[in-house]
Amino acid sequence: MHSSSPYDSNQNAPDLSSQELWSRVTASLREQLGEANFDLWFAETKLASATRDEIILIVPGSMYMIWIEENFKNSLISTFTRYLGGCDKILFRIDESSEGPSTSSDESTEALPSDDAKDLEIRVGGLSERELLEKGHAVGLMGSYRFDTFVPGENSELAYAAARAVADQPGKTYQPLFFHSASGLGKTHLLNAIGWESLRQRPKSKILIVTAEQFANDYIDAIQKQTLGAFRKRFREADLLMIDDVQFFGGKEGLQNEFFHTFNRLSDTRKQIVLASDCPASEITQLEERLVTRFQWGLAAEIHRPGLETRAAILRKKRDDWKMAVDDESIDYIVSRVHGNVRALEGALIRVSMSATMNEKALSIPEIAELLADICDDSETRNIGAEEIKAAVAEHYDIEIAVIDGKKRTARIAEARQVAMFLVRDLTDWSLVETARAFGKDHGTVIYAVKKIKKRMQDSGAFKSSVELIKRRLIRCTGSGDAARIRQGKAIRDVRSSQNLGQAEPNLKNRKRFK
Amino acid sequence: MKFQIERDAFQNALNQVQHVVASRSPLPILSNVLIEASEGGLELSTTDLDVTVSKIVAANVVQPGAITLPARRLAGIVRELPASDVEFDVSADSVATLQSGASIFKILGLPPFDFPHVGEFRNPREFTIDQKLLRDALRKTSYAISTDETRYVLNGVNCVIRDGMLTLVATDGRRLAMVEQDLEFPAGQEVSVIIPTKAVNELQRQLDIKGDVKVVISDNQASFDLNGSVLVTKLIEGNYPNFRQVIPGPANYRVIVEREVLLGTLRRMNLLVDESTNSVNFIFDNNQLTICTTSPEIGEAEETIDIRYTGPRMVMAFNPEFVIAPLRNLDQDEVYIDLIDTSSPGVIKIDEPFLYVMMPMRATR
Repeated sequence: MHSSSPYDSNQNAPDLSSQELWSRVTASLREQLGEANFDLWFAETKLASATRDEIILIVPGSMYMIWIEENFKNSLISTFTRYLGGCDKILFRIDESSEGPSTSSDESTEALPSDDAKDLEIRVGGLSERELLEKGHAVGLMGSYRFDTFVPGENSELAYAAARAVADQPGKTYQPLFFHSASGLGKTHLLNAIGWESLRQRPKSKILIVTAEQFANDYIDAIQKQTLGAFRKRFREADLLMIDDVQFFGGKEGLQNEFFHTFNRLSDTRKQIVLASDCPASEITQLEERLVTRFQWGLAAEIHRPGLETRAAILRKKRDDWKMAVDDESIDYIVSRVHGNVRALEGALIRVSMSATMNEKALSIPEIAELLADICDDSETRNIGAEEIKAAVAEHYDIEIAVIDGKKRTARIAEARQVAMFLVRDLTDWSLVETARAFGKDHGTVIYAVKKIKKRMQDSGAFKSSVELIKRRLIRCTGSGDAARIRQGKAIRDVRSSQNLGQAEPNLKNRKRFK
Repeated sequence: MKFQIERDAFQNALNQVQHVVASRSPLPILSNVLIEASEGGLELSTTDLDVTVSKIVAANVVQPGAITLPARRLAGIVRELPASDVEFDVSADSVATLQSGASIFKILGLPPFDFPHVGEFRNPREFTIDQKLLRDALRKTSYAISTDETRYVLNGVNCVIRDGMLTLVATDGRRLAMVEQDLEFPAGQEVSVIIPTKAVNELQRQLDIKGDVKVVISDNQASFDLNGSVLVTKLIEGNYPNFRQVIPGPANYRVIVEREVLLGTLRRMNLLVDESTNSVNFIFDNNQLTICTTSPEIGEAEETIDIRYTGPRMVMAFNPEFVIAPLRNLDQDEVYIDLIDTSSPGVIKIDEPFLYVMMPMRATR
């Protein structure tokens, strides 16, 4: 790109006739590119019109357009800028009369997808869609994740509004902006949307979007190759730094230290930082206190699971975007059955649509039900509440439910209580505060419990399987929502628990030994 | 449905069709291989809805029928079977029983009628071409295919048949590879289609060094029949830009170089190439070519090789990957690099109808 942006070079351009301008530009290009090279690419190129906003070149075929854009874009922009005082975009027009015989006459319409079928744009100020895509992909933004493809609902209002605000005024509103939610609810989508919008509004700003893992890999790479200087320059000079999955930083001290300094530098220079994590900052295991407090400085926005209406709105939008022939009734049915994250919803929609395409007819509701049977089942866990979980845990540990809510702190009871808290966080979408209230504790206790159980599950396979056993039982019993089955399940559990469930751990160990 | 088949033949056929199978597909049946047994033997088919591959294999069919089974899993099982023969028995509820020696497997399948079928060929045109010829032509061009999805017409190999000549071309806007071959084709008919990358890769895997391939091209799909296996692919819609426009005119200088020597040198120089600049300098001078690279963060490297060149000293810069790719896929001992001047595109040629245009980068001196 050239050095002066069209916004700051407002001095009047020398008044040149278009002919004169083209002859000067070509003379300069001839010098830059070399005689023969110039003749190969520009001998038959003509200037149709030139203003500072828009330059239109006529080229004798779309292959010229592609190669000129790939190879000489920068030369063209800087040369025109020199003579015109600015150069917002360059459009190409194909001269059909000189198209070679090798392709049919309407070729350029399909050679490149572009707003105007005959034009290829190179813009400098406001980016054309093509340029925007190119730049965005170069920094690693994902194409379809834009604000206009995001369906805000009651579950994501705050996160959406904050993302908008940050994209409009980076570094001025929330520093940092911290999204957290369960997976598949749109964190990555919002990060990308902020990136796209920033790029659209400020094409020159340096945008970086990485996952915490990439950040880690680049960091390790930089240490190995001894290019820490370049690494730091890259991250500390970004105008907008977005890091996905920051929970990955947990337990990695060197990395946290590096990120701490990156964070400070960016926030000192009032650059925008946006982070996303699958849990609140305070719940990230082994995250240094100084980072936790920094993550909490700005705005922490949680994205909740979408409600029925929002789910329907999301799927309708997806259907329209993907041009699928699925009617509203089917969508209403899908959202009523699939409760999981947006990815699960999309998967269900794709399945229904593909199946319909292949059968060449729309599916009836019972057919959809059958098609989605396997997705629906494991998504019904949402029916579980704290009471069911407490009951299951109490049963497993062979204690009274009331004891879990009580104040006793013998090891066994404390463990049962912590497991119950962990399961509530794991299986329901209850917030920390709600969970704490259900146990009559404060949210700090819940955080501690969840951390501790996670750690123990990592350390001990036996403990992990025993927690998972409770979990599986809970899911299975509430899965169908069928009261009879719940009762039956409970009856079976009663029998089992009276026999051996109290000692689930040793029992599991036995089973292992048999294998 | 019931048949017996030799394990090795079955495994071989499964291996040939299983590359197309998507590892994670929203439709379970796309992970499956369709097995159709008839008097003549077995036909195995897989598809990802864009590319469909099928293979015929001899078997002793006791009772004809059809089923679909998870392709990768089945291939894994057959590979490990203990005896050299497999007996296959499929029940009405799509459960396949495999028996080989003392080992018995029961595998749950999906009914065959859900398997997507290839659409009909409208306006078909047919020709036959030597398998090796087509394979070599694809190999010499496919590396230049563009991966830029915004230019989707360039995401494949353009295949043009006109005036008794088959031309294959691929370009990404910085380089272009082209192969031409004589081909018998009804006069007056012309074909210009774009074969997508996935089908090109799959074809290269399937094509053999002997025998012919029968090609049928319709408006939106093409099929390649190679003696027992058939590959059908959708074509990229749209018109390929006129590539002849970017082939430079007569050259001023010709450099003759030993392919493997240059390839070896470039591979070594490439070890030090900086990702941000991605270029090495070529210094052509009096029967010698010096290739060097400097990276402020890594270091530098240099190597001089003998060439045949008598023109003036010229310094040019190229992306080493862009020179390595054609060299790796040619098999001639000597290649020619035709040059006009230091800033015009260079052209790699051989003694056969092939050319490769590459744009130089700004040389850093």
